[in-house]
Amino acid sequence: MKKPLFIIGFLGFITIGLLLGNITLENNFSTTGITLVALQNEISTLKNENEQLDVKWLQAASFTTIDSKAEKLGYVPVTTEVDLTAPLPLALR
Amino acid sequence: MSWRYRTTLLFFLVIFALIICRLFYWQVVRAQELSILGQEQYDEQVVSQAQRGEIKTSDGFTIAADKLAYLVYTNPKVVKDKQNEADVLGKLLDIKSATISALLNVDKFWVPITSDVDSSVKEKISAKNLPGVGFQPETVRYYPEASMAAHMLGFLGKDINGNDAGYFGLEGYYNRLLSGKNGYAVVVHDAAGHPILAKMNDSTVKVDGSDLILHIDRRIQFVLDQTLKDGIQKYGAKSGMAAVMDPKTGGILAMSSFPTYDPSSFQDYSENLYSDPFITSTYEPGSTFKPIVMSAALDAGLIQPNTQCNICSGPVQIGGYAIHTWNDQYFPNTTMTDVIVHSDNTGMVFVGEKLGLDRMLNYLQSFGIGDTTGIDLQGEEAPELHPKDQWYPIDFATASFGQGIVVTPIELLDAIGAIANDGKRMEPQVVAAIQTPDGKTIPIPPKEINQPISATTAKVMTQIMVDAVNNGEAQFYRLKGYDIAGKTGTASIPVAGHYDPTKTIASFVGFAPANDPKFVMLVVLDEPSASIWGSETAAPIFFNVAKDILMYDGIPPSGE
Repeated sequence: MKKPLFIIGFLGFITIGLLLGNITLENNFSTTGITLVALQNEISTLKNENEQLDVKWLQAASFTTIDSKAEKLGYVPVTTEVDLTAPLPLALR
Repeated sequence: MSWRYRTTLLFFLVIFALIICRLFYWQVVRAQELSILGQEQYDEQVVSQAQRGEIKTSDGFTIAADKLAYLVYTNPKVVKDKQNEADVLGKLLDIKSATISALLNVDKFWVPITSDVDSSVKEKISAKNLPGVGFQPETVRYYPEASMAAHMLGFLGKDINGNDAGYFGLEGYYNRLLSGKNGYAVVVHDAAGHPILAKMNDSTVKVDGSDLILHIDRRIQFVLDQTLKDGIQKYGAKSGMAAVMDPKTGGILAMSSFPTYDPSSFQDYSENLYSDPFITSTYEPGSTFKPIVMSAALDAGLIQPNTQCNICSGPVQIGGYAIHTWNDQYFPNTTMTDVIVHSDNTGMVFVGEKLGLDRMLNYLQSFGIGDTTGIDLQGEEAPELHPKDQWYPIDFATASFGQGIVVTPIELLDAIGAIANDGKRMEPQVVAAIQTPDGKTIPIPPKEINQPISATTAKVMTQIMVDAVNNGEAQFYRLKGYDIAGKTGTASIPVAGHYDPTKTIASFVGFAPANDPKFVMLVVLDEPSASIWGSETAAPIFFNVAKDILMYDGIPPSGE
């Protein structure tokens, strides 16, 4: 008579234990949603900032920008060149 | 049992029966529908957008990439002071306030104002706290060098399903590789709309697009763009195009065409500008075709550089037509070298007769004339050569000096590239390597198509072309100290069944340094008005670009 009571009690204990465990986990998971949203927003913000910096860098480094800035600063294209086709004379003494 | 108990029992039985019926209705009859409603409420299918691959020049600089931008929209129904809002938005978005005012008077809840607005402008608009104005993030294609190499790049538009799709040039040719594959995931939300971590599952994983590393040298491309644009203006041409290729690999170092368009705002330009004329437009090449026919006859052993022309003392009569030289000057017993130097049409008729139709057609096919080159750009076209039985003697004669036969610029560039590369013809390639999202770089090896002429013939032809530069019509523009092989071209344009003597296609093709070519270049101007001659218009452009490339590559002068 004692044995079945022990088995029923044990099963009941396991059931209640698992139920409590499930409730605790579900409770934890349900609150992670807020953290998850915050993390996703942060990732998205950082990604956007990174992309914007990339775009700024590409804009600054493009030849089109450099050319127009150089023109504004007064640089002009080289139109003459010097060819060193013969060795320069050396003063031996 | 008293009737009260019975009534109470019946009452409860009826209530239970009603509940069971209602449950049956929900759980069985409408089960599927309610299940879907529930899923719609809690599940959300999230598309994980694959990032489109970037296009980079040989120095690793990105010339096409994705960037975050915003669509600015408004709800006109909540805007009270419409004129003020139109003025403020017009100023910040650089749009006429009357245009915005018209949009604000539309009887709708959501009206898009403009797209592709960058974050700095978005922040300025947000700071104004304008009623009804909102922003929708969007990814747009960004081209940092604006219209540089626009025809070669192509652009990103939408397909019939509203998805991003590349059109023309590299964006079109490599669309699938650049696009990658979107990923899809189902996220379950709680009652407050927050995602539940434990219930999130990835259905498919996204695969980002691959990057393209080009042969394009950004510095050469920039110089070519600027010089060609200035040249078109200076010589009053209707349009112009040019390309620079490494003859040893077939790698395209630069390719440019004008008029052009900005690929990031392609919709603002005429559709006629979208295709790349360098690979799609056909023209009669004129004298720039002569080196191909001449090298064919040299390779067949039918002539030597010092072979004398015995029909060059005056105009040549063929089938009732008289073939003249370009300046009506004739050189009796002129050598083959001088035929190219003087760009002598009668001399080329002599070469054509020596070669014969069959052999000439075989050589032209071997040089790739009449067939696409296989360049990795969308939309390449190639006019076919006439079938053998449709060649009349006059067609054959004029084809020997590049009239009455049509080619695309890329065909001619590739054929001349074979002369520069010891007779080996390479497949033109724009993309040098593919970079996969996991960082692997897969190089695309150069592809030799065939060898139309021997290395010896190529050397002989190169020397003839060097003489043509040093002693021909374009000698005043040549670069002192450098051996450059080249040929001018001034082709008549057929208009309404006859050739208009005032309208020409001026061109120059050549390569340098002649003994170890680093590049082969073709410059084509359509109907220059300052001068009709290739030697006075296309040649200066060629030599200006060549000078910059030689200086940039650090190649010193080697002779006179």
